[in-house]
Amino acid sequence: MASDVTLASASRAEWIKFRSVRSTVLGFVVTAVLTLGISALITSVIRGHWTTMDPLSKLTFDPVSTSLGGTLFAQFAVGVIGALFITSEYSSGSIRTTLAAVPQRLRVIAAKAIVLTVSMLIVAEVLSFVTFLMGQAIFAGVVPTASLATTAVLRSVILAGVYLTLLALLGFALGLILRQSAACITVFTSLLLVVPIIVFLLPQSWQNAFSKYEPSALGRAMMSTAPPSQMFGAGSATVILIIYVAVAGVVGSLLFLRRDA
Amino acid sequence: MLKIEHLSKRYGDVVAVDDLDFDVTPGVVTGFLGPNGSGKSTTMRVILGLDRPTKGRATIDGRVYSDLRHPLREVGALLEAKAVHPGRSARNHLLAMAASNNIASSRVDEVLEFTGIASVATKKVGTYSLGMNQRLGIAAALLGDPQILLFDEPINGLDPEGIKWIREFFRTLAKEGRTVFVSSHLMSEMALSADRIIVIGRGRFIAQGSVDELTADAVGTVTVRSSDQARLAEIVHARHGSVRDRDDRALTIEGLTSDEVGEAAFAAGITLYELTPQRASLEEVFMGLTSDAVQYASAGTEVPRGK
Repeated sequence: MASDVTLASASRAEWIKFRSVRSTVLGFVVTAVLTLGISALITSVIRGHWTTMDPLSKLTFDPVSTSLGGTLFAQFAVGVIGALFITSEYSSGSIRTTLAAVPQRLRVIAAKAIVLTVSMLIVAEVLSFVTFLMGQAIFAGVVPTASLATTAVLRSVILAGVYLTLLALLGFALGLILRQSAACITVFTSLLLVVPIIVFLLPQSWQNAFSKYEPSALGRAMMSTAPPSQMFGAGSATVILIIYVAVAGVVGSLLFLRRDA
Repeated sequence: MLKIEHLSKRYGDVVAVDDLDFDVTPGVVTGFLGPNGSGKSTTMRVILGLDRPTKGRATIDGRVYSDLRHPLREVGALLEAKAVHPGRSARNHLLAMAASNNIASSRVDEVLEFTGIASVATKKVGTYSLGMNQRLGIAAALLGDPQILLFDEPINGLDPEGIKWIREFFRTLAKEGRTVFVSSHLMSEMALSADRIIVIGRGRFIAQGSVDELTADAVGTVTVRSSDQARLAEIVHARHGSVRDRDDRALTIEGLTSDEVGEAAFAAGITLYELTPQRASLEEVFMGLTSDAVQYASAGTEVPRGK
């Protein structure tokens, strides 16, 4: 006799569901196109203008975070992947099938989080390494380049993938809370784009205090070899983003446990 | 054995289910009959642990759904509302269900064959007709070869052949000793497919029993044609019967048995051409039982005209 409905069997089921809808595949394709395409664009433009750039810009130039610039656009695509993983269950009604098969609701959330984290981490890490190497290849000969042999550089490239994975999980947690795709994507986009605009309108001293807490600022800090003084260090930024995801995840889980399906 | 134990469920101010208490026994097809909005689907959802009851509980062999080791192997359900992602194929939908409950993937092909959708199993569910969706729902219910089966409005969207098939299918499942619990708002369907019927309205229990038991207590009518209809009507009134309906040819009499009508006619010297006792149909019984309990009653059948 086979064992009970375990986390492993629930995860196997979630993996089949995750890979068998077009939105996931499409989401990953868009993530790849944005990461690679926009990074290629940014690095090519810099190479073309390098000789005419002013000395100060040259002095503060970071070949690592610049080559990873596309991830700051791909972050929207991964948020949608994470959100749809749960909101599509509500819009289609398949959540009823899911919970009838696995009535332990925390186990359903854990299984989905595992599938999302593992698949997202693999894809995002591959993308950030490829993007980095592509960027350095485009810079080569004209613009100063960075090497993965440097610890800080390797850290930045790895954390770029971690950043995308955490944003996918943030999208998933928001999906648990909001249950509707459109609402979820709106809130997610607002957090990344609108909150910085609001902070920008605040007095300078407030800006300095708050802007470093914005998710996208945390992302820039994670991808930077030497984050500027008004930002968090890469390690602290990672921890803070994890806390955001954890808080949203706990709220989403509590609601998921209480609500009728 | 499926037990509904003093179950109540309210959504905000709306009481969807009000103190339902009954058993669904194995070996027979149990019908769950009630008008739309009477709480049938809510009861089904509570059984499956999807909705949390406000009071009471539903148990499967003494355990609530979330305590079942492999829920899909103990309870199979066809839910009325769609429960499948339209962008996923039927096969992948069933494979995911099978994986979660450690069911062999060969069983997926078995149920796809059985329900006749194997040839379209790799197509997206969103492209399916209503009937194909129902077949997929039946395949999903059978996946774990469960002893208890719930079907919420299973005949919706089935063609006449499919309806005939599903009636026999319910009988077969019951004969195998399984618990078969079928909801419907169509009394005619329940009369044909269920051995035992539980009637609810506005979330409350109304009656239960076999079709014969439910119709036995109901008042039947007698249809009569005679040589003197007018005098016969008078005699019926004198004997405390009533004429419910009369046309040129026949009287429909209520409150008297056919024997009583026959004897009364003989005593009065009226020749009878026809004397037919009509038993109340389950439909009439149902209408009588639930007339107070219909949530969305329409105001007659005449189309309102603008002024």
